Amino acid sequence: MPIPITQYNKEVKPTWCMGCGNYAIHIAIKKALGELEITPNQAFVTFDIGCSGNGADKINVNAFKGLHGRSIPLAIGSHLANRKMTVLATIGDGGCLHEGLDHLIHAIRSNYNITILIHNNQNFALTTGQATATTPEGKKMYGLPDGRPEREMSIGEIVFSSKPSFFARGYSGDPLQLTEILKEAILHKGCSVIEIMQICPTYNKESSLEWFAQRIEKLDKPLSTINKAKEIISMHEKIKTGIIYTDKSIPTFYDRLENRKGLGTELVDEVKQYDISKLLEDFK
Amino acid sequence: MSNQRLIVKFGGESGQGINTLGQILSKSIKESGLCNFAYREYPSLIKGGVASYQIDIAQEEIASSSRTCDILSVLDIDAIHEYFPSVSPNGVIIYNKEELNLSQEEKDYIEKNNISLISLDTVKMALEVEGIEIMANMVILGFIWKLLELDTKPLEEIVRETFKDKNIDLGAEIRCVRAGYNSEQIKKEILKPLTFKSSKKWKDSLNITGNEAISLGAISAGCRALYAYPMTPATSILKYLGDTYKETGILIKQAENEITAAQLSMGSMNMGTRAMTVTSGGGFDLMCETISCAGISETPLIIVLAQRAGAGTGLPTWTGAGDISLAVHGGHGAFSRCVLSVSDPQDAYTLTQEAFNIAETYQIPVILLTDKQIAESIFNIKELPKPTMIERGITTGENRYEITDSGISPRWIPSADSPTYLQNSDEHKITGESTEQSNEVVEMSDKRLRKTETLREQIPDPLYFGNKNPEIVFVGYGSVGNTIRDILKDNSHIGYLHYQYIYPLKYERLIEFHEEGARVVIVENNQTGDFAKLIKQESGFEIPERILKYDGRPLFIEDILDFLHN
Repeated sequence: MPIPITQYNKEVKPTWCMGCGNYAIHIAIKKALGELEITPNQAFVTFDIGCSGNGADKINVNAFKGLHGRSIPLAIGSHLANRKMTVLATIGDGGCLHEGLDHLIHAIRSNYNITILIHNNQNFALTTGQATATTPEGKKMYGLPDGRPEREMSIGEIVFSSKPSFFARGYSGDPLQLTEILKEAILHKGCSVIEIMQICPTYNKESSLEWFAQRIEKLDKPLSTINKAKEIISMHEKIKTGIIYTDKSIPTFYDRLENRKGLGTELVDEVKQYDISKLLEDFK
Repeated sequence: MSNQRLIVKFGGESGQGINTLGQILSKSIKESGLCNFAYREYPSLIKGGVASYQIDIAQEEIASSSRTCDILSVLDIDAIHEYFPSVSPNGVIIYNKEELNLSQEEKDYIEKNNISLISLDTVKMALEVEGIEIMANMVILGFIWKLLELDTKPLEEIVRETFKDKNIDLGAEIRCVRAGYNSEQIKKEILKPLTFKSSKKWKDSLNITGNEAISLGAISAGCRALYAYPMTPATSILKYLGDTYKETGILIKQAENEITAAQLSMGSMNMGTRAMTVTSGGGFDLMCETISCAGISETPLIIVLAQRAGAGTGLPTWTGAGDISLAVHGGHGAFSRCVLSVSDPQDAYTLTQEAFNIAETYQIPVILLTDKQIAESIFNIKELPKPTMIERGITTGENRYEITDSGISPRWIPSADSPTYLQNSDEHKITGESTEQSNEVVEMSDKRLRKTETLREQIPDPLYFGNKNPEIVFVGYGSVGNTIRDILKDNSHIGYLHYQYIYPLKYERLIEFHEEGARVVIVENNQTGDFAKLIKQESGFEIPERILKYDGRPLFIEDILDFLHN
């Protein structure tokens, strides 16, 4: 029986703008957890800094709101301690591609069994609209009256350069599709990365609902090879959404740890006094 | 009674097998029933430069190094020029067959101090007994062993044990040891017989480094994950816990950087296991944001800060204790924390366990200071203390950040059986939800900082050693303490106040000594007397005299003796 979405609600007044993509993203997270019958206390969500991070106290799950750019390693440390917990890391495009880009690449490379949600609204919104790496080249932004002087970065290209085991693209304007993506990402055994194209009605007016409506094309199923997937991730003309690529053959980090094989316990179950007398023999 | 020393030093290029020589000699001395302390100097490069291993040998416990040596064995001629001024009068220098090219100054020093120069063609000697070139070092060991007039059995045992898994002709190794031992160059006037009384307590003792003791403390305390990025002199903790991970089941993750290592640690600790991270000053800088985050979110966090000398890259492989201000103040904003300082394997073992208990009970970041001299030197100790009982302070409650008199709020482990909560690095209400309300901010900030006072009441006073009515009281922490403790017996008018708990700081005892008329002298392995500054900050008392050493070398016993004699 799916758990009703209301179980994940909290009586905290939202602080996002009217029309912000975060409302729909939160609905999708709650709906996905509910449909997978993951109770609020079986989920652990880390939050970054920014508008996405301000969702930390607006959802009833175990949560940790940490520092800018660090929600991914915080999630990984949480996951490694207790794999029974469903661990999600949420982060904005700013935190993910600037302060914490190394964490994203290494998380994919290590293939921890967590789900990373990158909220891509193409700007630092909470600090009132500075350029991020996904802001289009030349676009006039806060403090950049003549337009942004650098080329932009593509989240998809970065993810694919690290050989992901799961990459999907969702859209805050389509929470039902995002729910389905999230469910698959959570069930996927490995590091699932979801780029969520997010409406920012205040600081990214150009990328409006209409703008997305003209560009988004839903994929029916993932591409069969990584090379085919790489070919369609560009967003210059059309924006493909859905699960773009999965590779179930890549082992997770934890499954490769020789000394943890065959142990039926999680690290959280193992805190007790250990007898070191055998180890001391080596020092005699 | 005076605890005299006999000191052997090996010098040579990095990569010439100096470490193996030092380790074998240290173990063999222990097997012979004597105490020793082995100190290693090496440059931050793989091949070349000048490296050394110094073994101070004594009858009773020692845990420090001397500035001088009685026997200097050099594998590379450059090492003679580097180390000849440290050779004591009537000492012996052993070198290979090469030309020495001594300067006039060096010649004068050697003559004036009656130092014997012994040229030993160790490669030829090794080949003569059908050994191979790399076994030349075993010839040196045998030669030195004869100079000390020790029974060869313990040495041969340790040589066999050292090389048994290395696919090397053990018979040839032993023949080389004996070739050195029976060398015709041994003459009565160069012998340095070890007349110290041998004891079973040292034969049965542990040969252990400070970092190994920290690792064992972590294992004992139920630490289940180590997250680290390599940085000297913390790296050998990663090595020991990695080498033993099959026995312990500890999860080892070499992180992409120190920021990650700290975040992984904080994440795992919050989830309810015990984890730690280890680093040196530069890596600690990167961890400061996480310390601040752990502080406001009240998440347990353990960082071992193994200090080395200098700012920036500084002297990467040399010792120092200049990071105390960083440990006490690193991280933005106000929050409670605890800083501990180890000095030897015994307290490294205990304080590591204490660090976990304090971090979890008080829900604060705990920084465990050590320095390269403690981290990498080999100590002989009779045993490790009994394990410290685990205390986690895990309870149930309604609100994660409940306001309490002690400052400690209920903390429980996230699980399918427990209520959810938000661990928040934004300022928050008792429920964890973010707030910017003036009264709530003040109330929560005050609650958090009350933990410092609660902790201050719980932690023990600094340890005191020596004369009950001292003329001089030295004050210190870390490896300088070992040096001072080693000279107390021969200097009955002094005392030593040793700090293991750096912050929160207990200063009452220190002030008492001052008020009773003792000369109070701070001793620190740094340039600016940072611990003295902390004492002044906390107590208002400015320590009048200071001994500061910041050349990358540990505090040698002569550094303190010179102070006393001047």
